[in-house]
Amino acid sequence: MKILLIEDEKELSYSISAYMQKENYLCEAVFNFEQAVEKINLYHYDCIIVDINLPDGSGLNLIRSLKEIKSETGIIIISARNSLDDKITGLEIGADDYLTKPFHLPELNARIKSIIRRRNFGGVNEILFNDLRVLPEQMEVSVRGQSLVLTKKEYDLLVFFLSNRDRVVTREAIAEHLWGDEMDMADSFDFIYTHIKNLRKKIMEKGGEDYIKTIYGMGYKFTDQ
Amino acid sequence: MKLLTRTSRSYIYISILVFIISGLVFYNLLHNIFKHQLDDTLIEEKMLVEQTINYSDSVPDFRLVFGHMIDVTILNSPQKNRGFISDTLMYDSELGTFASFRHLFTENTSIRHKGYTINIYKPLRDSEKLIAEIVISLALVFVSLLLLLVLVNYFITRRVWIPFYRILHNLSKYEINQSEPLELPQTDIYEFQLLNQTLQKMSKKIRFDYLNLKEFNENAAHELQTPLAIIKSKLELLVQKENLDENQHRLVSAIFEATTRISKLNQGLLLISKIENNQFIHTEDVNLEQLIDKTICHFEEMIDHRGITVSKKYQHRVTLKMNPVLAEIFITNLLSNAIRHNIYQGHIEIHILKDSFTIENTGQLLKTDPRNLFERFRKSANNPDSVGLGLSIVQNIANLYRMKIEYMYHEGLHTLKIFSINITN
Repeated sequence: MKILLIEDEKELSYSISAYMQKENYLCEAVFNFEQAVEKINLYHYDCIIVDINLPDGSGLNLIRSLKEIKSETGIIIISARNSLDDKITGLEIGADDYLTKPFHLPELNARIKSIIRRRNFGGVNEILFNDLRVLPEQMEVSVRGQSLVLTKKEYDLLVFFLSNRDRVVTREAIAEHLWGDEMDMADSFDFIYTHIKNLRKKIMEKGGEDYIKTIYGMGYKFTDQ
Repeated sequence: MKLLTRTSRSYIYISILVFIISGLVFYNLLHNIFKHQLDDTLIEEKMLVEQTINYSDSVPDFRLVFGHMIDVTILNSPQKNRGFISDTLMYDSELGTFASFRHLFTENTSIRHKGYTINIYKPLRDSEKLIAEIVISLALVFVSLLLLLVLVNYFITRRVWIPFYRILHNLSKYEINQSEPLELPQTDIYEFQLLNQTLQKMSKKIRFDYLNLKEFNENAAHELQTPLAIIKSKLELLVQKENLDENQHRLVSAIFEATTRISKLNQGLLLISKIENNQFIHTEDVNLEQLIDKTICHFEEMIDHRGITVSKKYQHRVTLKMNPVLAEIFITNLLSNAIRHNIYQGHIEIHILKDSFTIENTGQLLKTDPRNLFERFRKSANNPDSVGLGLSIVQNIANLYRMKIEYMYHEGLHTLKIFSINITN
């Protein structure tokens, strides 16, 4: 799996690369428009993460030239500008997703995975983890072949965990993933706790294992280790 | 009081005062002059009487000569020379009442070695009549002069102050965040020109500072986003380290929460400056009912968690003409406010009327002045973790669409009424 990261802020770029490496992605980072054009024309990537405001050009133009060569690459825009116009333009010219800085790395990871899954032509769009099986298109979950009835939030939570397995996911990242910006943090932590408790119970009722580990004062980790 | 009323009024008051004082002085002066003249005549008559007696050595009936009362008496034992002139009250046969007379009395011993007393009375009535006539005609002249002057003054003042009122009008219409600079009417009066120049200079400076500050706010908030993103990403990498102990986790968690708060604050400030910079031009028809229902759905967990009941009374179908993003933020912030500052098992009531809607919620009494409710960084003591920008953003959006918000409190119920909302027909 090859990813091209186009981000001029080096430290942020390093962080993203470091996080992606653990996913066994091959993550190449470039820091300006010119380098990006070169890479895009030479190699094929499964996903491109692009900042709109590059010192020597606009990320939107990169997307346009990608679409000109009929590339099937998935595109995620990351921008410091939370501007609806940019978002609309970006999505209109063919980007798959739009993230506003500052974002949580697990969020970016989940979005990349979702895009790659959707582009996995021919193959079955499914997420497997031990005895858990998720069909994202149908929004179906099963444990050991038995289907699991989850609420929307529980389902979102499970997919988010599965995208970031073996990682510590902070409560803030979960809250933002489930409710967006408008939620009161103190309240949302309580709700996360309730949802996780229910999710855990539902999986275990069907004979599944308890994969959700609580990292005290910090967040949760979805792992079988 | 208007400037014109004030000047006209003072003008009239002062004129009347001057008239009364000068009238009194004038009257006295006139009175004295006439008295003096009368006294001169009395003395002349007395001398005439004395001369006549001296010549003829007899006392004729002087009354026939002068036509008024003269009384001459021969004294048997003359004492000394003396005399005076005074005012006296006597019966006036011509008027038929008592009237004021000027009375000359003299006692003379030197005429023909005999003594006489002479009393001459002269009525004051003629001179008083004259004085009265003079005073009345003068008063008439004065009053008409006063009226004329007041009128002239009124019209001149009004004309002179016209540029001032125009300047005032333009000034009151001026808003610092409008795109055009302050325009003031031309005038040929030096003071108003000076006023214009000063105002122009001031407004230019204020505008410059305002734009500068606005730009600074936006840039600062914007520039903060990237370092915040870096901090967040580094913290997320740090969290992944296997060998962190509980204490270190706690430290990282605290940094994480603080960073999240800064980032939320920053987003709020960015949003406010964007609203102020009018960056949400695009408007759509937004169904208020649907928007509120959707938002309540969004907050469902919070509402259930706090045991709050929500009742809705939609009496009209209202469609707002607003930017859809701002409309969503507007309603979200209002409802979030009503939920957050509610009590456990409280109540929220939403009313949609024809051109207004109200959101009413139970809650504790405000500890701050309700007038400051919409200011930035006003937080309630019950909720110290909130950023304190929610209602300020609401106010900003309301200003943008010229909606008005009113806060009311009555027996444990806080009501926010949003009226003159931007509806489409």
